[in-house]
Amino acid sequence: MMIEIGHYALVLALATALIVSVLPAIGARRGDTAMMALGTTGTLTVFTLVALSFTALTWAYVVSDFSVKNVWENSHSLMPLIYKYSGVWGNHEGSMMLWLLILTFFSALVAVFGRNLPETLKANVLAVQAWIACAFLLFILLTSNPFLRLDPAPAEGQDLNPVLQDFGLAVHPPLLYLGYVGFSVCFSFAVAALMEGRIDAAWARWVRPWTLAAWTFLTAGIAMGSYWAYYELGWGGWWFWDPVENASFMPWLAGTALLHSALVMEKREALKIWTVLLAIMTFSLSLLGTFLVRSGVLTSVHAFATDPTRGIFILCILAIFIGGAFTLFAWRAPMLKAGGLFAPISREGALVLNNLILTVATATVLTGTLYPLVLETLTGEKISVGAPFFNMTFGLLMLPLLVVVPFGPMLAWKRGDLLGALQRLWIFAALALFAGLAFYYVHNGGPVMAIFGLALGFWGMFGALADLWYRGNFSKVGLSVGLRRLAGLPRSVFGTAIAHFGLGVTVLGIFAATTFGTETVVEMKPGASVDAGGYSLTFDGMRDAVGPNFTEQRGHFTVSRGGVQVADTWSSKRLYTARRMPTTEAGILTFGLSQLYVSLGDPMEGGGIVVRIWWKPFILCIWGGALIMMFGGFISLSDRRLRVGAPSRKAKPVKPALEAAE
Amino acid sequence: MVLWIILALLTAAVAAVLIMPFARGGKVVAADRTGEVEVYRDQLTELERDRAQGLIEPQEAEYARAEIGRRLLAAAGANADRQEGAAKTGKYALVTSMVTLVLPVVGLCLYLTLGSPGLPDQPLEARLANPGNNVALLVAKAERHLAQNPNDGAGWDLLAPIYFRSMRLGDAEMAYRNAIRLLGPSATRLAGLGETLVASNDGIVTEDARSAFEEAVRLEPDNPRSRFYVGLGLEQAGRAAEARSVFEAIAKDSPAGAPWLELVNQHIAKNGGTVAPDQSTAQAPGNPTQEDMAAAGTMSQGDRQAMIRGMVDSLAARLKEDPNNLEGWLRLVRSYSVLGDKEKAQEALKSGLKQFPSSGELVALANEMGLAVEGTTQ
Repeated sequence: MMIEIGHYALVLALATALIVSVLPAIGARRGDTAMMALGTTGTLTVFTLVALSFTALTWAYVVSDFSVKNVWENSHSLMPLIYKYSGVWGNHEGSMMLWLLILTFFSALVAVFGRNLPETLKANVLAVQAWIACAFLLFILLTSNPFLRLDPAPAEGQDLNPVLQDFGLAVHPPLLYLGYVGFSVCFSFAVAALMEGRIDAAWARWVRPWTLAAWTFLTAGIAMGSYWAYYELGWGGWWFWDPVENASFMPWLAGTALLHSALVMEKREALKIWTVLLAIMTFSLSLLGTFLVRSGVLTSVHAFATDPTRGIFILCILAIFIGGAFTLFAWRAPMLKAGGLFAPISREGALVLNNLILTVATATVLTGTLYPLVLETLTGEKISVGAPFFNMTFGLLMLPLLVVVPFGPMLAWKRGDLLGALQRLWIFAALALFAGLAFYYVHNGGPVMAIFGLALGFWGMFGALADLWYRGNFSKVGLSVGLRRLAGLPRSVFGTAIAHFGLGVTVLGIFAATTFGTETVVEMKPGASVDAGGYSLTFDGMRDAVGPNFTEQRGHFTVSRGGVQVADTWSSKRLYTARRMPTTEAGILTFGLSQLYVSLGDPMEGGGIVVRIWWKPFILCIWGGALIMMFGGFISLSDRRLRVGAPSRKAKPVKPALEAAE
Repeated sequence: MVLWIILALLTAAVAAVLIMPFARGGKVVAADRTGEVEVYRDQLTELERDRAQGLIEPQEAEYARAEIGRRLLAAAGANADRQEGAAKTGKYALVTSMVTLVLPVVGLCLYLTLGSPGLPDQPLEARLANPGNNVALLVAKAERHLAQNPNDGAGWDLLAPIYFRSMRLGDAEMAYRNAIRLLGPSATRLAGLGETLVASNDGIVTEDARSAFEEAVRLEPDNPRSRFYVGLGLEQAGRAAEARSVFEAIAKDSPAGAPWLELVNQHIAKNGGTVAPDQSTAQAPGNPTQEDMAAAGTMSQGDRQAMIRGMVDSLAARLKEDPNNLEGWLRLVRSYSVLGDKEKAQEALKSGLKQFPSSGELVALANEMGLAVEGTTQ
């Protein structure tokens, strides 16, 4: 009965969303408070219903109710409990449910925390959010319904894809969707503003926290996905320029641009039209990503099921929302008043440059992702666009951006003093170059270009520190006064510095891991040893083991340095019995920020086995940097100013609590 | 019925929440721009701070201040002009009725097409506690039991042929191997393992399968089925003369009119031998592998009948003396069923269940064989 209640709640959510998508918009047009108020209560109701529905589905997974087709297809009664929970979104239908849940969650947050918004803007935003919710509710109910039943019910499920039976599944999709779907709020704000035909600095301020929140979660989601692919797939790589990865990376690039252009708009009322366009584009790229992944156009670990009707349905959603938004934009944008002027060398100018580069980079990634698809459709020819293309295009675009990042926060608004900024930064540039050289000499190896790469990483890190250093004016006023001055700064300044620092850390990790890393593929017999990254790895032999729903052969390795044993690890090949599907579980050892990665290959005749060993120096910097960026995002999000303008209410911390929505 | 009441209540609650704003009545007002005014005020203080820190030149700051000031005035001015129009509550009648109508209509139409209101929840634990006659569930239950007690040979022995019949060949092989490991080799288990291996290799008698059949023949020299596969293996290996002598030996030992004779004769002919005239009804061989497989299926039933007939009586007698033997009862029930003697099978099942009242294996077997289980405590 619980399942049927969940099913009905989903249907009822559609009916409610239909009402919310119409009445508040009419109310905003007429200035009718009752109809606009419906937007708030209706949005909260939709969220409650979707949450109820999602709970019912989760319950079906947890108790292994195989009368639900979706559960039977993607679960197994012997699976560990955490995978029964995370397995809910480890398949097409469930992941769309999660998408919807997060969409309605964000709508509910706007409804609850949007008290400082003008009533009409809020009503319009909620109506637009409800349109999106309607589209996806219809999509789920008509093409991807997770509540379809089987009668009679089978006795055992078909198990979850073994690659997905990992803690990563519990974390990566929710974070990624919080980012992806979070940008829907920016989209709704943009469309609502276009509908009202009025957009100003205050609008930018209201959009800012949503952009920041979405960007922060997307950063974390992508980093988590990258780390998961790194340790689970057993190829030793952390980014493959796989179309599905690109699908999540493009909204991130566009979202980063949006984050910065909204800043200009808020401060200076400039770049209005551009900001609105970016807000629409960012969510359009999220939708495009959803389409690419969900339609089955791409085959990968993410394409759980391929069904042409779903693809066509999502394509229609894509066409309606993106096409509609751009039409509205073309119609309304000329009516928007242009904003303030600024000189090329200024904070605004630096941010425009940032936007320019990021947008072109997004276009590059988009081209590299879609070109093979278009070519295959038109000519039937199959090509794959891989790392070389992206390194040449995207990589080259990013280099100048990374160079100018530290300048941005140093320049003044309106008209900046480049010479002054250069003077202030040269010492840090020299330091960065020196650190890059020192790093290089310590490791002594790799191409000369790597020095510049490393220096670039340090440059980003030092530049961020320099910003704080000059803000505090430490060189003149001394430590204690400087610290006090820093304490008086708004939190977003720290957010900026921390996020830029994190970017530097990631760049450093990328260059260090690719330059100084080693890869060894070798056949090993028990007792054999291999050297990697200054460590000596000894293979001790294989052993059979049994897990809850798999059997495995695990190899034991002892790691020693200078003849002293420092660590040991298991690396295994598993066979998941229900699907008879093999996976590899790499053995990963962390030394400081570096990792030793051991993956088993095929057994050879004579008792040997192929072993792949990677030494990945400073690889943790890549994800650590992303975590630092995420942290910066949260710091900035906690800035008091983002909540300014809530009439008759004390500032209240933004706390996305689920219970607050009811 | 309970379901419909809950769904109705849910709909009513949602409708109540949605029409609440209209019940309270509304006003027609111009946009409230208080929030905007606040934002601009905050920007002015921020500008001061930026100037104090040298983030903006003093002259530029003046310009910026003027810019923000203009926006502030515009917003504040518009806000002061706000007029609250009195709202008529009457005009909400249409909206209210629309809301109350849309919810149940859309909800019911979609749910009735998509939902299955008649189906109750079926959590696996509850179903396993009361599996009834569902073979799949009984198998699942046995699997769980074996996951807990992987050394229960009898369980593997029972599951193996079920797996084989439902074409879960990988599981069947594993189950046969476990049964052989735990209970020791027997002709039946070895032959079952051999057949599983042959089936998973598209009818080829592999090295593994051949040794299993040879072992089975060693344990039970006059089992025609195992001997047939040994011959088939030789034939596939191209050792026609040896294969022929095996097939001829089977034909010689078989009673006249045995159902497998036709197939055996085919193979004798195929390997260059002459068939005894009274049994020359064999047809010309077509596609050998597939036909062999199909024929082997029919043969195994006749084979079993012959095999069992001899030993069934002694088994029944032995169980009468020593009834504490679950495996024995299982085999007896199976034997009678295979022989087609339903009455005796039922009787054996009853005696077995009397001895082992909580035996899931017996119940599973009964279900598999289509026997009624009476008075079980499950």
